[in-house]
Amino acid sequence: MAAEALLSAPRPASRRGRLLAGVFLAAALAWISLGLSPADAVPGANGRGVLLLFLEGAVRPALTYEAEVPSGTTPLLLKVLAALRDTVVFAAAAMSLSLVSGLLLGFLGATSWWADESGCSASSFGRRVRCTLMPVLYTTVRALIALMRSVHELLWAVLFLAAFGLNSFSAVVAIAIPYGGTLAKVFSEMIDECPRESARSLRAIGARSPQVFLWGLLPRALPDMSSYTFYRFECAIRSSAILGFFGYPTLGYYLRLSAENVHYREVWTYLYALFAVVLLFELWSSQLRRRVVLR
Amino acid sequence: MTSPDRLERLRRERPRSRFLRASVALLALLAAYAWSCGSVDLVGLFSDRRLRNLRRFLEQDVVPYPLREGQSDAGALGRWAHGVLLERGYEAALATIAISVLAIVLAAVLSWCFAPLAAANVATRRPFDGDGRGERWAWRALRIVVRLAMILLRSIPEYVLAFLLLSVLGPETAWPAVLALALHNAGILGRLGAETIENLEPGPLRSLRAIGAPRRAILMAGVFPLALGRYLLYFFYRFETCVREATVLGMLGVVSLGYWIQDARAKQYYDEMLLLVGVGVVIVFAADLASALARRYLRERA
Repeated sequence: MAAEALLSAPRPASRRGRLLAGVFLAAALAWISLGLSPADAVPGANGRGVLLLFLEGAVRPALTYEAEVPSGTTPLLLKVLAALRDTVVFAAAAMSLSLVSGLLLGFLGATSWWADESGCSASSFGRRVRCTLMPVLYTTVRALIALMRSVHELLWAVLFLAAFGLNSFSAVVAIAIPYGGTLAKVFSEMIDECPRESARSLRAIGARSPQVFLWGLLPRALPDMSSYTFYRFECAIRSSAILGFFGYPTLGYYLRLSAENVHYREVWTYLYALFAVVLLFELWSSQLRRRVVLR
Repeated sequence: MTSPDRLERLRRERPRSRFLRASVALLALLAAYAWSCGSVDLVGLFSDRRLRNLRRFLEQDVVPYPLREGQSDAGALGRWAHGVLLERGYEAALATIAISVLAIVLAAVLSWCFAPLAAANVATRRPFDGDGRGERWAWRALRIVVRLAMILLRSIPEYVLAFLLLSVLGPETAWPAVLALALHNAGILGRLGAETIENLEPGPLRSLRAIGAPRRAILMAGVFPLALGRYLLYFFYRFETCVREATVLGMLGVVSLGYWIQDARAKQYYDEMLLLVGVGVVIVFAADLASALARRYLRERA
């Protein structure tokens, strides 16, 4: 048995080797097709000045405006806080939408809650109908998930901008669509990959499909799902910050203004604010992982 | 006992975590605040002006140009689409893929160098020896600095990074996009790589240590080969994201698909814009497929 396993074992090294060779070949082709030269990656005299100014800003982020402002302007730090608040608000609103759609589509896109393993050989009419309908539903949901995911949130935002004009709800939806798709994809995989013994035992003592799903499958997958949701929240905050580049009142809006005025110290204030929020979420989610997932 | 009772008992005795509950409650509060604080304008979306805008968009703007001119045959439509694609679509799609391939490979090489420095079982006085007792503060400081640098890299969104790099390197080459994606993903892959190394089966590494292998030899002979499989999986996952992001980075002025999407938007050629977004969907599908195939090739048994 052991010898057989050894003999039939893959030789991962060679597969990896071939894959790595392919990857580097692709990179070389990409390099050639983009016509890049290493010299261009080194900033010119002008760029060096900008870079220096930018790096200097990292050490001394601005606490007040770098230029003269009319009296009565909101202090910089308050503006940063307001931008930060809107960034988190957009992200939270988007995540709540995508969590609902992600759970729903993730459930429909998973297969492990389908009827018992005795499968479709049973003769009851209802079961046979279900057996033909489920795969159709599954495929449709999968295609929907793929479509939601394959358009970047900024492209959704641009599409909505063209369709509706500047509106904060459409910005939230723009984030929520691809994030919902991603959550659905990952949730369904987590539900399908979680251990099924408890589901089987539940079924054995007579539980019905919804009960099996709610009490046998979902609790096993829930820790991973919540930890992943946290991670996506962190991503949503970044996405919502970037939406500011298109005129929404999140961090990106002010960051872009400051950068275009070459106020790099202000840029760093915004960057550090974003950094702080992301760090906070990271600490929170790592605590969650440590206490819940790795118990 | 009847089955419902047993089910009920099982449900009552399930493991719970107070921390998880508090977190969920806090998040629910945050979501409630987000919807009620007035920053998200729910009603405004359905105002008359917006709905008129939407109708115009759907009935005129996105209708492909030849159809609007009354040429409803498929040939004219095909010629129009082919024209747009030939002029900018194909080349931009190719550039988008090239940017993301190059960026992810650069990111992998970068993070491969930094990941061991952030892993607690490598960057320590007595590597792979377990408890880390008697550790010098220098090792700890090194790990923390590397980790912080990686967090900083990945907490700056690639879009912002590219925007800033554009003013340093100029828009003539694809470097700003490539470097932005590479740096951001180096932060992510570095963290994932460090975690992979920390989670490695300690047995083989300890035995290498026991026969007196120096740190570098253990890295080359043990850590890297063992971690490579997992790492490649992450590499391909991140590649998928890279393609999506590379598309979008063009909107800043680098030549990728996003550049022409932005261009069409500025000219209000929304039919063209939609076509190019469609091209983006196709290359994202292609990249996902390539990545899925590569991952299956890695996992496949014999």
